[in-house]
Amino acid sequence: MEINVLEWLEKSAEKYNEKIAYSDEESSLTFSQVKSLAQSIGSALLERGADKNPIAVFSGRNVMTVAAFHGVVYSGCSYAPIDSKLPRARIERIMETLSPSLILTDGENRDFVKGLGFDDEKIVLLEDAIKHEADGERLKKIRRFSNENDPLYIIFTSGSTGNPKGVMTSHHSLMCYIEAYTSVMKIDDTDILGNQSPLDYIAAIRDIYIPLLCGSSTVIIPKMCFSSPAKLFDFMNEKRITSVGWSVSALTVPVSLGAFEHGRPEYLKKVCFSGSVMPGKCLKQWQENLPDTLFVNQYGPTEATASCTYHVVTEKAEDDTVLPIGLPYKNYRVFLLNDDGTATKQGAEGEICVSGPILALGYYNDPERTAASFIQNPLNRAYNELIYKTGDIGVMREDGVLEFHGRMDRQIKHLGHRVELDEVELAAGRVDGVRECSVVYNKEKETIWLFYTGTATMKEIAVELRKYLPGFMVPRKIKNLEEIPRLPNSKIDMNTLKNLAK
Amino acid sequence: MKEELMEILEELRPDVDFENEKQLITDGILESFDIVALVGELSDAFDIELHVEDLVPDNFNSIEGMMELIEKLQDE
Repeated sequence: MEINVLEWLEKSAEKYNEKIAYSDEESSLTFSQVKSLAQSIGSALLERGADKNPIAVFSGRNVMTVAAFHGVVYSGCSYAPIDSKLPRARIERIMETLSPSLILTDGENRDFVKGLGFDDEKIVLLEDAIKHEADGERLKKIRRFSNENDPLYIIFTSGSTGNPKGVMTSHHSLMCYIEAYTSVMKIDDTDILGNQSPLDYIAAIRDIYIPLLCGSSTVIIPKMCFSSPAKLFDFMNEKRITSVGWSVSALTVPVSLGAFEHGRPEYLKKVCFSGSVMPGKCLKQWQENLPDTLFVNQYGPTEATASCTYHVVTEKAEDDTVLPIGLPYKNYRVFLLNDDGTATKQGAEGEICVSGPILALGYYNDPERTAASFIQNPLNRAYNELIYKTGDIGVMREDGVLEFHGRMDRQIKHLGHRVELDEVELAAGRVDGVRECSVVYNKEKETIWLFYTGTATMKEIAVELRKYLPGFMVPRKIKNLEEIPRLPNSKIDMNTLKNLAK
Repeated sequence: MKEELMEILEELRPDVDFENEKQLITDGILESFDIVALVGELSDAFDIELHVEDLVPDNFNSIEGMMELIEKLQDE
């Protein structure tokens, strides 16, 4: 039984050694290169005092970053990937939560990391670390005392209070998910995966770890391709990409830009989409253009290792098709609870809850929010069983297939990202010259609207918000109102605002 | 035309300095969903039909590139 992802890496390095594991536009790494680079990086980190605490990784969208992640794992630590393009104030808050003992950065990000106030004492340069001699004895010892519940990574996600939450996941959880996913998607060593997700984002875990288990190769697709759909399809054909796990918006954007007029990804045989609800009319186009391709709808939060359920699409999509979210993956238990903690009857709406070895270890350095979200199963008084309450509403069909019926709170899924509207409102409320504000989401047009009163200009607000929020969270429509509409009980009149947001 | 284009761009991304940014796509300043919105706006405002082949970085990296593209499509 394997208990550490590096066992996967070492096995595949032996079996596939000179085969390409990861490639990007400019370079590629074979399985054996990945292993030896990661061992060097791990040894360098140990030399510099890696001590089980998380290591922050600042590195670009390229193959070396993936090697850096594996290198951190060799040192016995978990990695927290951070995108240096995020607003500085947000990165500072993340670093405060993380308080990393070491930071691994590539040359391009080094000055940025120094600018955050970290000195050379704490900074390990990736370009130096790969030249370090691998210390086999030390790495072996670290492994000998590891266990499957050791943390593997921390991924930060939106929090309604404005403080990002660092979801920490173990080796075992990740390995359960990758095994379940690859068996549903029927992935093997002939597959070439096309990575769309930013490497610091949860969806990238598939592209990072599937090659280690299955011997497949991952191609990191340049970000620019996603605004240039003809280029995207050409690139996928050139690289012969067979399998992708993308956010729904990565599939809707090429369709709305007319990509299929130009051609199609000829080799693509397996498509998994997740992150938000797939519009029927978009899926229809994909199905018509790729009639022999497997399409799978995946549902699940970062807190349950990116997933809960999957639905293999057998229906022929029409404009109004709404897919169910399906059945639990292997090793996942998914069920519904009522507000009062009782079991939801079949056919009724309840909160989607999940338990099993895929549950995250919690929110790093945040016991309060961890305790609030990861709770003892109220249906089980006999023994310890933690569950995660997703905040999503579901309905269980008679055949055991789950349907998704929206959110219980103001969290939305926007362009594949989780966004707390409360967080956007909080940030906008802090801008000088904004008296009152309210945020509304137009799901159909995938646009966040901000309504406000006060003297600030639209431009001032947009510029200010970008200092605190990632780009996708900044409202694309910002409107000044004389007054925020209110109901007789003085609550904000959301329906009137929703009508304005069209 | 430039004025009208600027107005559309300013409304879409009030935070971006369109006069001076010359690598809007290559540097990832405009995201894929900005392009989707922009394509819709440009088609309506300038009565042009954009094809998927037009959606390449050169045509959207700068306001000059966009103007050239609009002029070309208006001539068609």
